[in-house]
Amino acid sequence: MAEAVILRRKFSAKDLAIQALFLAVIVVIVAEAVSSARTNLAEMGLSSGLAFLDRATGWSYSFSLIDHSIDDSYRKTLFIGFLNTLFLGLVSIVLATVLGFAVGTARDANNIAVRSSATIFIQLFRNIPLILQLVFWYAVLIHMPGPRQAMSIADAIFISNRGVMVPGLTIPTVAGIGLTIFAVVAGVLIARLSALRTSLKLLIWLAAVAALTLLLWVTLAPEGAGLVSAPELKGLRFVGGLPLPIEFVAMVIGITLYGAAYIAEVVRGGLQEVPKGLIEAGRALGLQEGMIWFKIKMPMTLRTIIPPLGNQWVFLMKATTIGVAIGFSDLFMIVSTSITQSGQTLELIGILMAAFILINFTLAQLVNLLNARLRLKGH
Amino acid sequence: MTKTLKSLLAVMACAAFVPSALAAESATIKMIEERGTMLCSGHNGSYFGFVEVNDKNEWRGLDIDLCRAMTTAILGDPNKVQIVPLSWAQRFPALQSGDVDIIIKATGWTMGRDTELGLQFSLPYFFGGTQLMAHSDLGITQATQLEGGTICVEAGTTIERIVADYLKTLGVEHTMISYEKAAELRAAYLANRCDAFAGWGPNLAVLRATEIDNPDQHIILEDQLSSEPISAAMRQGDEDFVDFTNWMLAALLLAEEHGVTMANVEEMAANPPNPTVARLLGSTPGIGERLGLRETWAREMIAAVGNFAEIYDRNLGKDSPYKLERGLNNLWSHGGVLYAPILD
Repeated sequence: MAEAVILRRKFSAKDLAIQALFLAVIVVIVAEAVSSARTNLAEMGLSSGLAFLDRATGWSYSFSLIDHSIDDSYRKTLFIGFLNTLFLGLVSIVLATVLGFAVGTARDANNIAVRSSATIFIQLFRNIPLILQLVFWYAVLIHMPGPRQAMSIADAIFISNRGVMVPGLTIPTVAGIGLTIFAVVAGVLIARLSALRTSLKLLIWLAAVAALTLLLWVTLAPEGAGLVSAPELKGLRFVGGLPLPIEFVAMVIGITLYGAAYIAEVVRGGLQEVPKGLIEAGRALGLQEGMIWFKIKMPMTLRTIIPPLGNQWVFLMKATTIGVAIGFSDLFMIVSTSITQSGQTLELIGILMAAFILINFTLAQLVNLLNARLRLKGH
Repeated sequence: MTKTLKSLLAVMACAAFVPSALAAESATIKMIEERGTMLCSGHNGSYFGFVEVNDKNEWRGLDIDLCRAMTTAILGDPNKVQIVPLSWAQRFPALQSGDVDIIIKATGWTMGRDTELGLQFSLPYFFGGTQLMAHSDLGITQATQLEGGTICVEAGTTIERIVADYLKTLGVEHTMISYEKAAELRAAYLANRCDAFAGWGPNLAVLRATEIDNPDQHIILEDQLSSEPISAAMRQGDEDFVDFTNWMLAALLLAEEHGVTMANVEEMAANPPNPTVARLLGSTPGIGERLGLRETWAREMIAAVGNFAEIYDRNLGKDSPYKLERGLNNLWSHGGVLYAPILD
């Protein structure tokens, strides 16, 4: 017994030494790389450091959620790129997940026509490189009519090769994003008040969102502006409303379809994991197929697919980096333009990596939380 | 000891040659004469108007003709030129390693290239600047009318900054979309995604003339956003070669100024109308001896490729498909900025 303890201690001391050595080697390699990079940069007369972040950029780009100009500092420009990537990523992830669940379910359907269409969808969008799909969608979208011949839906929504113009609230974009986040959070919180009836919950939620909207309008909208502004053709472009540039639309379509194909396969895998006995039990109880899907298949599926689904989300977030091909100013494009214009390659690559680690690490933590909450007790 | 003595002797021997070096030619020219061909920079494909391959697989363009002029001046025959196809990135290493004798390839004279890359530049022979091309149906002629418009540029270029600065100065509100690849940029402009498209003036003109079905649907706006001097680039350390290149360009400009053309050069040489033409065409000796070349090099060169106006018109101007106005690239006496040093 005592011998065993000593043996274990010996082993752990040895393990510890190996681990310490490993760590030390890594530290030395990193320190050496940093110092040699510094020396080499200094020898070539290149400046390093983060001082450039406060310099004005002097160049412009296509998409931003907040006001931007060529006098903005690199700091602000990079932040705008970060917001753009986050915005595009979140919108695409939500849409891809919804579409992916629909297609994944269709792939599991009994109807042959539905099942084979879903299979074709998946094989088509999963097997063509994303960048090709993106260039394809962009080529299609920019051949739509110009702004002066825009297709209009009830004179409120205009679709042209410049983008999709929809009526928008007259509050600043940032406030709009805040409002959306509030609506989602409030929705989740209110839904958890299990004591209330569903219709009452909906009413409370609507009232809360409407109240905040009005408050924001009164305090933040420009003087004399209505609550909603509709797009209107003026000169070479549309003014008013919420413009969604065609580059953004192409990115969302491309990433959504590509992501949905992968997510559909994950969902199908999850659905196949649902024990047959449970479904048969549901049928025996006389539940309709829809109810079986909601009450049996989905809860069981979600438990198994959350980890792979989280992987897909992280993957889709990274897929936003191809905007440069079609001129969408995501973080990667802003960084690569910053590199050619400022020459601060190492620093900017560092910032890019840090930003993606921040986004995707957070996303992964959220997925882990979700997974922990959904896990079957005792499993 | 003997080594030191030997090198001392070598230095003295070199010093002894200095007086005759006054009339001697440059090392590069000597090398070209020994080789019997001149190696010039081409392009990996066609850079229309400057360095292009025609349907008979022959090199054509303003830069190619300048090379042929140079070859005639040195070797007496324009066909002794050999064009080495090079990409933009390859051109400077190729010059440094001796794969080409000179770079005449729409190359801008910048401080970085002049100092850090160890090059030396000739006098500028062309000025090209950033300009904007727009769809004609917008009915605009100036950048100020682009208010609210969308402008497409190539990402990470100096053009991107020049346009942003210019429109900011004018107070023109606009959206700018930058594309990584020129092909994407062109496609987006042609599909009407952008109202205007910013680029190097000559490129826009060439694009308008060659790749667009109906050139009248596009207008190059009046604004000249910047101007870049285009020069021939040579290796550092052979000053005599730079002298020769500058006088080669000067001879082409002087010929234009005094009306010496491919057709009348022999007649002019026989009866020079003024002393400058007499000196230029070697009727009065001097132009050859001082560069270590034949007295008739300029005469032969003009007979082979013509004067500067003839070269320009054939490749970019009114006799070419591109119909590019001379503009800045005219002689100073015709409203341009090109001039020749004094031929005394």
